[in-house]
Amino acid sequence: MASQTLEIHRSSASMWGTRTGIRSLPTVAKYVDTTTCIGCKACEAACQEWNDLKRVPTSQDGSYQTMPKLQADFWNLIKFNETEIDGNFNWLMRKDQCMHCAEPGCLAACPAPGAIVQYANGIVDVNPDSCIGCGYCATGCPFDVPKFHAKTGKMAKCTLCVDRAEVGLEPACVKACPTGCLSYGTKDDMVALGILRVKQLKDSGFKDAILYDPQGVGGTSVVTVLKYNRPELYDLPADPHVSMGVKIWKQVVRPLGVIAGFLTMFAVFGHYTKYGPKEPPADEGRAA
Amino acid sequence: MTVVNDAQPAVITARHTDNVVVGDEIIRHRRITRLMHWSVALTFFIALFSGMPIWTPLFAWMAALVGGMEVARIIHPYAGSLFFIASVFQFFHWLGDMRFRSDEKGAWKPSKLMAYMRWEENTTDEGGKFNPGQKVFFFAVCLGAIGLLLSGLIMWFPLYFPRIVRELSILLHDITFIFFLIGIITHIYLGTAAEPGTFRSMTRGTVTRRWARLHHPGWFRDVDKKG
Repeated sequence: MASQTLEIHRSSASMWGTRTGIRSLPTVAKYVDTTTCIGCKACEAACQEWNDLKRVPTSQDGSYQTMPKLQADFWNLIKFNETEIDGNFNWLMRKDQCMHCAEPGCLAACPAPGAIVQYANGIVDVNPDSCIGCGYCATGCPFDVPKFHAKTGKMAKCTLCVDRAEVGLEPACVKACPTGCLSYGTKDDMVALGILRVKQLKDSGFKDAILYDPQGVGGTSVVTVLKYNRPELYDLPADPHVSMGVKIWKQVVRPLGVIAGFLTMFAVFGHYTKYGPKEPPADEGRAA
Repeated sequence: MTVVNDAQPAVITARHTDNVVVGDEIIRHRRITRLMHWSVALTFFIALFSGMPIWTPLFAWMAALVGGMEVARIIHPYAGSLFFIASVFQFFHWLGDMRFRSDEKGAWKPSKLMAYMRWEENTTDEGGKFNPGQKVFFFAVCLGAIGLLLSGLIMWFPLYFPRIVRELSILLHDITFIFFLIGIITHIYLGTAAEPGTFRSMTRGTVTRRWARLHHPGWFRDVDKKG
């Protein structure tokens, strides 16, 4: 769902002219406090409703989790990770969705001009008008978020409810959350809220509580409070970044290839100019 | 009219036979060879024009040639698969003619390569139907076609492969393509403007005696002896 009113900050597969506005907008962010999540899944239902997504069959995998992974028609999944820490059972719930990275790997990998855009407020969005459904964004994403929608042939993921954000409303999931573990505002405010909550947790005994805002991708517009500094327990990558493969491919191999192609053209024309065509000597007749 | 009458026997013979002299011409590629070559070329160019806009936005305009980015994304894997199939036929069709000969060992000396590029090589050199450069190009294309196929299949069905495999296959696909890009520009140049009389061997199927003696003296001698 591409916004018609938000200015674009960055656009996929575009070499120039990606910015569509000069205003400086505050970055928005969603705050997720995993310690106060009760696993009610109201956010899942609200997401499905607001975004008019198809009802997706749930699967019973021996856990309360709705399904194993995000799907093209299911953009917000509460992960129910059961684990034992210091001899105590822990039920670690975490909101899995697009993290809206400041440096999005999906946007870096996308080959279709304008198919993935980052608005001036930091929201990363798929523009279905331009998406060609190649799935490169899924390869570029360190969080395994974008999913291919077989019906549309396009990629689909959380939009951070950009259609609500552009008129000043909070995302549907935040609106629905009954415990206040979700919050929405400017990135600065949400980080401040997170730091405050982390301090509270530390004071109450969770010494290694952190605010997950991975700098490897320039920070994310979904900041998550974790009471254990072990993101992998929550199915989160410890140090996500735009992968080396995507960087080498886009920033080294591709420019080198373009240069090699043009150099070859120049070499061919230069050769023809200098040596001309290779003609047989004129004096040779039929005799061998 | 006389031109047409003179031409007919060579063209007719070129339908089924090659490496023979007919009148003033020598049949270099019989019809099946030319069909095969143009199958490879056509599928290559469809894949090229549908792949390059996806490769970099610098060539996004090429998408218009195939009907837009979505169409490019849909037809590229099919064109690529057909290119591979055509390349397999080409491999078996030309393999016999592409074996390296003992008299070609010196061809890779830099001085020899430079002499060739300056059109200075010794025309009394032996050699087969194809020169060492053509043979290397042939095997490089075959190897490249395998690389493009394997990486392309992974990119076609990305959901079935782990992320690192997808990344590596995109890299492999790109690097292989860059060699193809350099190769195809050079190949077209040598086959048309650089060496007049070559292109007709892939259209009409025939070359002149002068052309054959200049470019493939060993082959010319063998064919001429046969009569």
